Amino acid sequence: MAQDLLEEEGIFFDEFNKLRTLEPDVSQKTSELKEECKEFADKIGQFQEKVGSLIELVDQLAKETETEKFKAIGARNLLKLVAKQREALQQQLQALIAEKKTQLERYRIECDALSKVESEQNEFINQFILH
Amino acid sequence: MRLKTSLLKEPKHILFLIICVGWTTADELYSCSEDHQILRWNLLTSETSLVVILPEDFYPIDLHWFPKTVGGKKQTPAEIFVLTSTDGKFHLVSKTGRIEKSVEAHKGAVLAGRWNHDGTALITAGEDGQIKNWSKSGMLRSTLATQGSPVYSVVWGPDSERILYTSGRHLVIKPLQPSAKVIQWKAHDGVILKVDWNSVNDLILSGGEDCKYKVWDSFGRLLYFSLAYDYPVTSLSWAPDGEVFAVGSFNTLRLCDKTGWSYALEKPNTGSVFSLAWSADGTQVAGACGNGHVIFANVVEQHWEWNNFMITLTKRKTMQVRNVMNDAVDVLEFRDRVIKASLAFGHLVVATSLQCYIYNTRNWNTPLIFDLKEGTVSLILQAERHALLVDGAGLYIFSYEGRLISSPKFPGMRADMLNAQCVSLSNDTIAIRDKSDEKVILLFDALTGKPLGDGKSLTHKLEVVEIALDQCGPSTERKIALIDKNRDLYLTSVRYLGREPKICKIGSMIHSMAWNNAANILCGVQDNQFTVWYYPSAVFIDKELLPKTLYTKDGSEFSHAPHILSYVDTKVRLRQRDGSLLYTSVPPYAVLLHENSSSARWEDALRLCRFAKEQSLWACLAAMAIANRELTTAEMAYAAIRELPRVHYINFIKQQPSKESSLAHLLLFSGQVQEAEATLLQAGLIYQAIQVNIDLFNWERALELAVKHKTHVDTVLAYREKFLLTFGRKETNKRFLQYAKGVEVDWEKIQAKIEMELSKERAKAANASVRSSLAQRR
Repeated sequence: MAQDLLEEEGIFFDEFNKLRTLEPDVSQKTSELKEECKEFADKIGQFQEKVGSLIELVDQLAKETETEKFKAIGARNLLKLVAKQREALQQQLQALIAEKKTQLERYRIECDALSKVESEQNEFINQFILH
Repeated sequence: MRLKTSLLKEPKHILFLIICVGWTTADELYSCSEDHQILRWNLLTSETSLVVILPEDFYPIDLHWFPKTVGGKKQTPAEIFVLTSTDGKFHLVSKTGRIEKSVEAHKGAVLAGRWNHDGTALITAGEDGQIKNWSKSGMLRSTLATQGSPVYSVVWGPDSERILYTSGRHLVIKPLQPSAKVIQWKAHDGVILKVDWNSVNDLILSGGEDCKYKVWDSFGRLLYFSLAYDYPVTSLSWAPDGEVFAVGSFNTLRLCDKTGWSYALEKPNTGSVFSLAWSADGTQVAGACGNGHVIFANVVEQHWEWNNFMITLTKRKTMQVRNVMNDAVDVLEFRDRVIKASLAFGHLVVATSLQCYIYNTRNWNTPLIFDLKEGTVSLILQAERHALLVDGAGLYIFSYEGRLISSPKFPGMRADMLNAQCVSLSNDTIAIRDKSDEKVILLFDALTGKPLGDGKSLTHKLEVVEIALDQCGPSTERKIALIDKNRDLYLTSVRYLGREPKICKIGSMIHSMAWNNAANILCGVQDNQFTVWYYPSAVFIDKELLPKTLYTKDGSEFSHAPHILSYVDTKVRLRQRDGSLLYTSVPPYAVLLHENSSSARWEDALRLCRFAKEQSLWACLAAMAIANRELTTAEMAYAAIRELPRVHYINFIKQQPSKESSLAHLLLFSGQVQEAEATLLQAGLIYQAIQVNIDLFNWERALELAVKHKTHVDTVLAYREKFLLTFGRKETNKRFLQYAKGVEVDWEKIQAKIEMELSKERAKAANASVRSSLAQRR
């Protein structure tokens, strides 16, 4: 009876007969909950850690991808530029070739004229020998 | 010929366009760019120094140095230059970079500023389409032109009396005098960006956005147009001597001959070349590049040829001599830059910036060296015995031993404007076409430098384009060939006593000419054929014979109007319009014939003509024989070319009773009537002189002589009567009517008188010959 009365007043005794203000079941459950909570927090912590590293990794990857992408774009542009440069170079070389060609033509004409003079002179020499 | 370019590794005006460049001396250059800096480039020490940093809002566009003083005065280096800017001002800037004066000139940018050749005036052209004329100190004189579009480029004409400017696709030549005629023509298919006008050869250059450059003469006639290249022509500039020009465009530098064809193309990595400037000696050109560089280009690999020697300027200071006969190679090293060289008559004359070297082709090791007063030799001409050097201050004749022989001077001399077409040198004479009056040719004795004879110059009826003195024979028979504006070729004597000689026309449509080095043979390019005048002086002896003395070659082997470079022995060197060299040979007989005739070996000459069997040679021989009064040879030569009337006349001359008569008839033979008459009168042969005039139907003169000497009036009247009777006409001449009244005509008496005169002459001649033979015996 007295126990009930005490219980009504919110005072309990546990197995070891110690005075408690909380019901032993509840207290036990509370502590269990506390344990579980701690465990949960720990797990969450672990999870967060893992996710964090993952994110970091992904970020790094993203960065790397980005640089690679830029590199690729650069390379592509460079390629295009090379083609253009080559075109310009080709144009330049073409111009130089055209110049050389005209020079060659000049030399050819000069050569023709000289060989003509040569044949004229030979003719003259022959005529001279015959007489 | 090509350009050797040099660029610094790092541009000095980093990342800025260089806009303009200008030379002060042959080795110092100023450049100006958008980074507001003016830099000075010293090429001797290859140092670059900052002259001044201009204000931040100052963007220069054009730079032009004040011209050096010219005309025989001592030359001083340029001290100030004009700098135009985008804010519509032009600035006079000193050598140290101090802005002496700024003048508000145009609305919008001032695109060009140019001093005239003597530095007395400045013109500026602006974006507002105006061209303004300023005094030396920057006072506005007048606005020369106003147009709707910007004037991109403006230059002075050679005489500083006209200007040339761009007007969109048109070029305009405007004289300073307001009343004079303006020439305007469409020049390009795109906007014209740059023009230049050379004072030596009077040719105009233009280049524009249609990627072409063109060469014009000062009347606006097109002489050359280039292909359309890849990029617009952004700059062009004449070399001071007018022999070559440079053209700049994007990544391109081109060196071209004055006739337009291109010697060489360089593709330096420069960006667009915005401005080009030649150094005063014409050996290097500087370009202002779009990528901040200043490009320098030296002209190298010029060639000279003479007989079996070929000389090439391999580097700026090195020449290579190749003897093609044995392939021997000599290398000539010079202390300074080679400016001009000439190879002819067995000597090489090289002018460097400080000295002159004379080499004999027999010995390349020991040149003769002497110092030059002034560095910029613009022209070297050679004759057999000496060479003529022309620099900015005057003309100097040096012997091949290096001795200064003479230095001709004349009022109004502009030595810097002389070129090979308007100066000619022979062993004893120099001829110079006057610049102020192009009809006049000034003649000087080469040995004394004094004007020839009584100092009277030769005046032609038209503007003379080209002159050439013959190289051989005695100085008294020196002849000059000249081509006038109509492209007619004339020949005349340079040294004469008494009466001024005739200027005889010997050809038309002549594009170019040259005398032979060994004989007085002239060759020329005539219309579309190559012509050789074997004996041009024939025109003074027998005009009708001249066409027969010609040797012509069909010009189909060369393109239109080649230019003759030289005529050495039998070889003629020509340059075609497209730049190719041509050679053609002339039969050697004429040279031999000249030798025979000058040493009076007429037998050999006859044999030569018989061997060669050429009409032209016979014709030459005929003329030469007449010139030397060698009647027998002349008779045979005329017979060979079937000139029967002349053969008869020569026979008639031979039968003349006295020396004077035959001389007079020889003169008559060459058409020199007055000289013939004078000879007869001098010898006292009045009747003969009258008879000459009667034979020529020169009645008035015959009567005049007869009346003056009071003899043979009846003879004249008798012949006149006979003449009128034959033609069935009546006497209308008052003088004849007057004398006919008082004189009775009696043919028998006249015949007797004539007979008497003739016998008198014979007797006199016989006396003279006896006397001379007596004198000989003594």
